[in-house]
Amino acid sequence: MKTSIPKNGEPMGHFVSDAAFDPHSIEQLNDEQKAYYLASQKKLMWWKFKLHKLAVVSGIFLALVYISILFSEFLAPYDLNHRHVKNIYQPPQSVHLFHEGQFVGPFVYGTKYELNLETLARTYAPDSKKIYKLSFFCSGDKYKFWGVIPADNHLVCVEKGGTLFLLGTDRLGRDMLSRIIYGTRISMTIGLIGIAISFILGISIGGMAGYYGGWVDNIVQRIIEVIQSIPSIPLWLAIAAIIPVSWSPILVYFAISVVLALLDWTGLARAVRSKLLSLREEDYVLAAELMGAKPRRIILRHLVPGFMSHLIASATLTIPSMILGETALSFLGLGLRPPVTSWGVLLNEAQNINVVVLYPWLILPVVPVVLVILAFNFLGDGLRDAADPYA
Amino acid sequence: MNRVSKIAAAMTAGLWLCFFGAIAQAQTVEEPSYLASRIASGELPEMAKRLPDNPLVIDIPALGREYGTYGGSIRTLMASSKDIRMLTVYGYARLVGFDNELNLSADILESYDVEEGRIFTFKIRAGHKWSDGHPFTSEDFKYYWEDVRLNEELSRSEDSTEMLVEGNLPTFEVIDDLTVRYTWEKPNPLFLGSLAGPRPNVIFLPAHYMKQFHVNHADKATLDKIVTDAGERSWVSLHINKGRYYRPENPELPRLDPWLNQTAPPAEQFTFIRNPYFHRVDDRGMQLPYIDEIIVGISSAEIIPAKTGSGEVDLQARYLRFSDYTFLKSASKDQKYNVGLWQEGKGSQLAIFPNMNTNDETWRTVFRDVRFRRALSLAVDREELNQQFFFGLGRPSGNTVMEESPLYDEKYASAWTELDVDQANSLLDEMGLEKSPDGVRILSDGRPAEIVLEGAGSSEETDIAELLKFYWSKIGIKIFPRNIPRDNLRRRALAGETLMSMDLGLDLGLAVPDLTPNELSPTSQSQTNWPKWGNYYDSNKVAGEAPDLPEVVRLNELFKAWSVSGTTEEREGIWAEMLDIYSDQVFSIGTVNGVMQPIVSRDTLKNIPETGIFTFAPSAYFGTYHMDTFYFDQK
Repeated sequence: MKTSIPKNGEPMGHFVSDAAFDPHSIEQLNDEQKAYYLASQKKLMWWKFKLHKLAVVSGIFLALVYISILFSEFLAPYDLNHRHVKNIYQPPQSVHLFHEGQFVGPFVYGTKYELNLETLARTYAPDSKKIYKLSFFCSGDKYKFWGVIPADNHLVCVEKGGTLFLLGTDRLGRDMLSRIIYGTRISMTIGLIGIAISFILGISIGGMAGYYGGWVDNIVQRIIEVIQSIPSIPLWLAIAAIIPVSWSPILVYFAISVVLALLDWTGLARAVRSKLLSLREEDYVLAAELMGAKPRRIILRHLVPGFMSHLIASATLTIPSMILGETALSFLGLGLRPPVTSWGVLLNEAQNINVVVLYPWLILPVVPVVLVILAFNFLGDGLRDAADPYA
Repeated sequence: MNRVSKIAAAMTAGLWLCFFGAIAQAQTVEEPSYLASRIASGELPEMAKRLPDNPLVIDIPALGREYGTYGGSIRTLMASSKDIRMLTVYGYARLVGFDNELNLSADILESYDVEEGRIFTFKIRAGHKWSDGHPFTSEDFKYYWEDVRLNEELSRSEDSTEMLVEGNLPTFEVIDDLTVRYTWEKPNPLFLGSLAGPRPNVIFLPAHYMKQFHVNHADKATLDKIVTDAGERSWVSLHINKGRYYRPENPELPRLDPWLNQTAPPAEQFTFIRNPYFHRVDDRGMQLPYIDEIIVGISSAEIIPAKTGSGEVDLQARYLRFSDYTFLKSASKDQKYNVGLWQEGKGSQLAIFPNMNTNDETWRTVFRDVRFRRALSLAVDREELNQQFFFGLGRPSGNTVMEESPLYDEKYASAWTELDVDQANSLLDEMGLEKSPDGVRILSDGRPAEIVLEGAGSSEETDIAELLKFYWSKIGIKIFPRNIPRDNLRRRALAGETLMSMDLGLDLGLAVPDLTPNELSPTSQSQTNWPKWGNYYDSNKVAGEAPDLPEVVRLNELFKAWSVSGTTEEREGIWAEMLDIYSDQVFSIGTVNGVMQPIVSRDTLKNIPETGIFTFAPSAYFGTYHMDTFYFDQK
């Protein structure tokens, strides 16, 4: 090893090894350690997410719910509009396995209907003489699967002559369970589209404003201010006047949620902008810029992951409010309303003293609403933690 | 002495006997304890001096009621403070009023006389006093007529048809202190009915009180000061606000009603107290009303059923619906109230109005074709509607008079209302509306028969619309129910935007010949089946369109004939023909009428009839059922 200082003018004779650099030369990693320390970002997030048991359960639950909306027609015991004229306001029936100590398989008892002439209440009592067996994967009400394929298969049906109202019936004699199952389809989807639009707009426009700053930022900020100052109720009224009356209520609601999304991105855009303004000063952004990365790549690849947790939190907060707020618009005749069936519509119909006192099963759509909202919150919680695996 | 004068003499003697008898009795009758302190302090005179010399005697046994006792207060709820006007309706003190059988008789007036259907002479009760004790005389009629009705500034907005015959006002004369006369050139059949209406045509005002607000009577400087102090724009608005009679907003205004409002709006609770000068007594000589106070709470309409069920009211019918009955009944034992069932008096609980003045030319032609309207009506399963919503307690019927009306004929109610889908289909086939492969009929211009059905949207309405959609899909007519606010609905209909609307039925379930048949003929722009024809009439041919459908023209002629008819028999004939044309032509499609209306009353509140018709016109809700005879059993 040369130790002497080179003479003036001579190059510094430092050593450059030709061998490949091995960062683990001192401490060899075994395969197990490799898998752990060298895991990709996605893997890390997944590990972190798995630790949050509640989030995993919620995720599975939501997945099941979303799968169910593909097969609503099949899962629901009855057709959505099947009115059982003789079974108005019938309370939930229970499924039995044993009849007088003998196993008969799943069945329901018949019901005896009586009109209480004094209070004019419809009373239904189980009639233990009549037994109607349940069968699975059977034929029942006809429907068009996905609106196209004619079919009549149902997951569960009852023997002819019997009725199967596991969650009771409403004032027109429609099965509540079927209505809730069909309602899932609307409640879980339509509003999400609006949220997706507002997220895309919010992140990209806010991202641009924050990243470029200067005049771009100025213009975007002024546009946001203008949009935020548009009063919403007259706007909805105007939309109500424009939308052709023969549109189905679903289409109307879809149109409304798109318009709302076009107005709603501003809040998110501002949050994204301010976050980007601070993050873009970080060294790793400078490094990426020096390496010649395009703004698009810098924003999406380097900056957005930096505040992913924030985005996830705001999304999981918006989805429940969307589900709950679905009926707020009905006030103006714009929201979902009968004959469309969604959880919000079902709950809206349950808003009176008669239901609370006499027909409490009509409030049952609250259960899926609560479950789904909780699930979204837990899932969001888990995802937020996972998005920041080193935290 | 000839026979006639003998009888007359005997009658006079009888009358005098009755008269003295009443006075003799009145002297022994106890005073309401509610007024005792005011009488003791000398603020109020004794009962005999408060009552008119010849009070209106209500024969309690003849009404089928029990004698009551003084006292108690009734709590009731209204949804808006404007609804304190309902107390003017419930109290039902009118110059002439309807009795239980819907016959007219003098109430505030001692008597009235009609000659040739055009000369009306009113006799005021001697000694009748306003609620402040000031005498009620022809001066009050004169003040209203000369200083209000004929005053250009005050009557600018008033153009009520009931005082006009062919555009002319009557001549008004004061005969003496207690007699006034109105004379028209031609008969005015509307006049008496309008005085007896739930919202009465008020033709008198307390002159002694109102004069201080009138520019012709008050000192200019003082009046200006009152106007400024009250924050009014001018003496005109001051006079209007102070003298509002139907809606008793001014507690100071002397009145003739059984109960007097003590609270000036805005307020959450209004207290009405008994009028010490009310002109009615029961046949024992006790002054009516029996009830001392009525307390009107203001609450939102949706929670009124809940509050009623928790026993917070003593008498409630408004805002309760038949669907609340089960709930109300099940809580009635614990909360100690009764739930009675009266009937509603609409021609139909819900009716469908095809707009024959719509802008859409194709649809207009279709709607004007009677076969189409009949087909729609035939396809409605009224029996099912009745069972499903009203436990079968209503009556399937067209949009027409009810059984309880003297004008009822079975053929009106059953015209084109029997479910018959085949006949409906063949009527539509006959019109040339072919069905397309997906079952919807095709209009002459190639569009599918899709109708937006606009409604004001109660939940019951939405449900019925749902069923209508189902019924009419069977005859190839597709409807889209849509909810819009009622004002908007009428505006859209008038503009011709609306194709079809659903609304409450005609207000004539209880019609009598002396009530105007205006709802059966185009007379108002708010009639959504022919808004433009109605507008033509109510704007005096300035706006709208002249009817050109022969049947409607005939209805119009009949209505005009009624408006100048002299006798009740003549009017009965006109009504019958109009009802016949209207129901045969199905100008609106009725569903179910005679639907039950729950009436909740405290257990101890007596004299409320078990059955009745709860409707605004003509029976003024509780009005013609003599709410002044309701009393609390204090045992």
